[in-house]
Amino acid sequence: MTAERGDRSVRLSPGVPAISVDHVSRWYGNVVAVNDVTFALGPGVTGLLGPNGAGKTTLLHLLAGLLAPSAGSVRIAGRTAFGDPGVYAQVGLVPEREAVPGYLTGRRFVQTNAVLQGLADPGAATGRAIATVELEDAADRPIRTYSKGMRQRIKLAAALVHEPSILLLDEPFNGLDPRQRLHMMGLLKAMSAEGRAILFSSHILEEVERLAEGILVVFAGRLAASGDFRSIRRLMIDRPHRFTIRSSDDRALGAALLGHPAVFAVDLLDGRLAAQTSDFGAFTRLVAPIARSAGIRLFELTPTDDSLESVFSYLVGR
Amino acid sequence: MTAAPGNIYDLGYRRYEGARLGRAVVALGLLGHTLREAYGIGRGGRAKITPFLLLILNALPALLIVGVQALANQIGAGVPSGPARLADQLPIRHDTYQNVTSTLVLLFCAAQAPELFGRDQRFGVLPLYFSRVLTRVDYALARTGGLFLAVLVVTIVPHLILTVGSLLTAADPLTGLADDLPDVPRYLAVSVLASGLLAGIAAVISAWTPRRAYATATIIGVFIVAPIVVALLSRLAVGDIARIAHLISPTDVVDGLNAAIFGTIAESRAVVTAALPGWIYISVTLVAIAGALALIVRRYLTVAV
Amino acid sequence: MSSAAALVDVTLRSLLGRRRILLMGLLAGSPVLLALLVRFGGGRPDASAVLDNLVLRTVLPLVALVVGTSTLGSEIDDGTLLFQLVKPVARWRVAVTKALVAALATVVLIVPPMILTGLVLGRGDQIGTTLAGYALSAVAGGSAYAIAFTALGGLTRRALVIGLAYTLIWEGVLAGILEGTRYLSVRQAMLGIVAATTGDGGERTPLAPTVAWTIVAVVVILGLVLASLALRRFQVRAPD
Repeated sequence: MTAERGDRSVRLSPGVPAISVDHVSRWYGNVVAVNDVTFALGPGVTGLLGPNGAGKTTLLHLLAGLLAPSAGSVRIAGRTAFGDPGVYAQVGLVPEREAVPGYLTGRRFVQTNAVLQGLADPGAATGRAIATVELEDAADRPIRTYSKGMRQRIKLAAALVHEPSILLLDEPFNGLDPRQRLHMMGLLKAMSAEGRAILFSSHILEEVERLAEGILVVFAGRLAASGDFRSIRRLMIDRPHRFTIRSSDDRALGAALLGHPAVFAVDLLDGRLAAQTSDFGAFTRLVAPIARSAGIRLFELTPTDDSLESVFSYLVGR
Repeated sequence: MTAAPGNIYDLGYRRYEGARLGRAVVALGLLGHTLREAYGIGRGGRAKITPFLLLILNALPALLIVGVQALANQIGAGVPSGPARLADQLPIRHDTYQNVTSTLVLLFCAAQAPELFGRDQRFGVLPLYFSRVLTRVDYALARTGGLFLAVLVVTIVPHLILTVGSLLTAADPLTGLADDLPDVPRYLAVSVLASGLLAGIAAVISAWTPRRAYATATIIGVFIVAPIVVALLSRLAVGDIARIAHLISPTDVVDGLNAAIFGTIAESRAVVTAALPGWIYISVTLVAIAGALALIVRRYLTVAV
Repeated sequence: MSSAAALVDVTLRSLLGRRRILLMGLLAGSPVLLALLVRFGGGRPDASAVLDNLVLRTVLPLVALVVGTSTLGSEIDDGTLLFQLVKPVARWRVAVTKALVAALATVVLIVPPMILTGLVLGRGDQIGTTLAGYALSAVAGGSAYAIAFTALGGLTRRALVIGLAYTLIWEGVLAGILEGTRYLSVRQAMLGIVAATTGDGGERTPLAPTVAWTIVAVVVILGLVLASLALRRFQVRAPD
């Protein structure tokens, strides 16, 4: 259990996933907070998505070695997460509800983190981390005087000060105004480009949609889906795809589309034509020929529900 | 149904337009609620254990005495009554009961007062109270009143048991009542004053220390450290300091009260050596209660919700 | 600054920031007030009576209890321990550092007022040995209590109440009734150390110095071990 010092550069060995979760469950008496979850993550930004109470924070605590799994194994860079403090040299955690010590100044807090990480030059690292989160002005004030957004940022600075290769963030955009949110997203994107593995949790779809390259959807403790959300959407073939069409003659086009077996419903509303189909690929190929043979001009063709929200609502509603 | 003309009823948000009971009713309601809360009524089994256990333990000696009296009656004649009755010769009587009582009442205060004052502050519920017709002062007084009544129950029940027991075991109920009657106003006075003092101190500490474990510890600390300081002062110091020093110890003041009202000799050495007149204890108690109330009201007037 | 120094710094700042430590400072200072009252009220100065009854038996355990539970226990409660645990620092180091800080804080709060009290109340030649005896005993006993209560704070949420029950019931009431508890009592160990140094045993036969010091050593070691174990197995509390 000795501290790992020395080379601070990103050190994820190829072949060893940064985060590896294998049939992990965690229960408290009769309540199962995390239910048989398996996934592996590498470099890049992944969003952990789920409604409140889905088990996101529990999962993050398991990944951070702050909870022992009731079943299964959690490995960080190949090492077991729970019970091995050495693993923290490579991990940064930004918790949501745990408090920061209000009696320390921001600088002292980050510096303490730097010292405990065993950095060779804690002062310099602290300065860099504080500059990264743009808190130089407030760094010498006690944290209890900070606003919620500032607290979030100082937590991030503390988690970044040792330049970890794995970053776990629990609802990091909570309490940030739009400008700060953009800034933090930019930060995370830049860090992921350096090869770090970043996992952040959120229940706000837009945030995940903008930032994450891949998503993990959890609901009621179970992993409902993982991967890129568009491909997940493709996989859900038993759920109809919806398209919105504007044309020179919506009614006639709608009638013509209904003649094709791939289309099973058509709506006329608001001056648009909405079509539902079970076969995404087939529909995209048939629309143009049908319109042309009916002599109708197409102005707009949009897949309406290829967003994270529809994926999410579907997965959660199952 | 007959073919009546159709109606759609707008059942949206309905306002209450009826009569509203006033501030006094609300305050009294909170007082009653506090009293019930002090005994864990309405809060499930575990909350009842401590208060009822302490209540029963405190009343136990009285029950035993009544049992002894009944037994003595059964065994037969020769049981004295009147001026030299059995009850007065037993070691546990109305005037000596307070010595048994004091520790258990302290524990009751230390255990329950933090619950009554701390929970609302810890869980941020005070705005719900203060955004009603109930004022902050009403809240403070109702809570303290509830605690006072709860503690009063603990102190007075044994005395009532002794009185009722004495009534029932006497040869003739009226004689029994007459024998016991002189003590009744005395123990009522002692119970009210002692409960007021102990509850007041516990309430002040609890109101200012929302974290319940620390409030309990502080209350116990105060009740424990003070007598030790007093004992040392009475052993070592002389003069006026020694005489009045014991007034900072609640248990000694209660002891002095008891001795003053019943006209007996106090248990505590400090009280005996000081030989202060009885009205001093009564005034100290009343001043302390007033001070406690003032501090509690101040707390709730200034606490940020 | 090393990791250990950083831990000490954080723990001290955490302690000093709490209002209850101020109260403990006042409590620890109260014997001085008492001593002054007695001395300048023309009373009979008896240092050992005050130091024994008020300080060792009452004030010291209470101060150690509040200080001890405020290090680990309070930091767990308000969540500020977490950032110290997700670091590549062995958990036993964290635990031991905090326990020792608690011990130091207790000793610093208790011993100077205690010496002052003794000087105010003491008479003549014996005061040196008496003070030395009590100070030594306070350092040993205060550290033992503080370390034990720190461990307790790391192990359970009810540390304060359990600690109170130990001090009041086990060491207070039961000790008078059950002879055997003497060997399981830090208080008796402290009194034994005092007796060994000053030759004044008080009303009952005190414990022999070897026994007394063994008890202190056992409590200290056991406390450090338990605190380390508590942190090694540490898991965040279940979501409410």
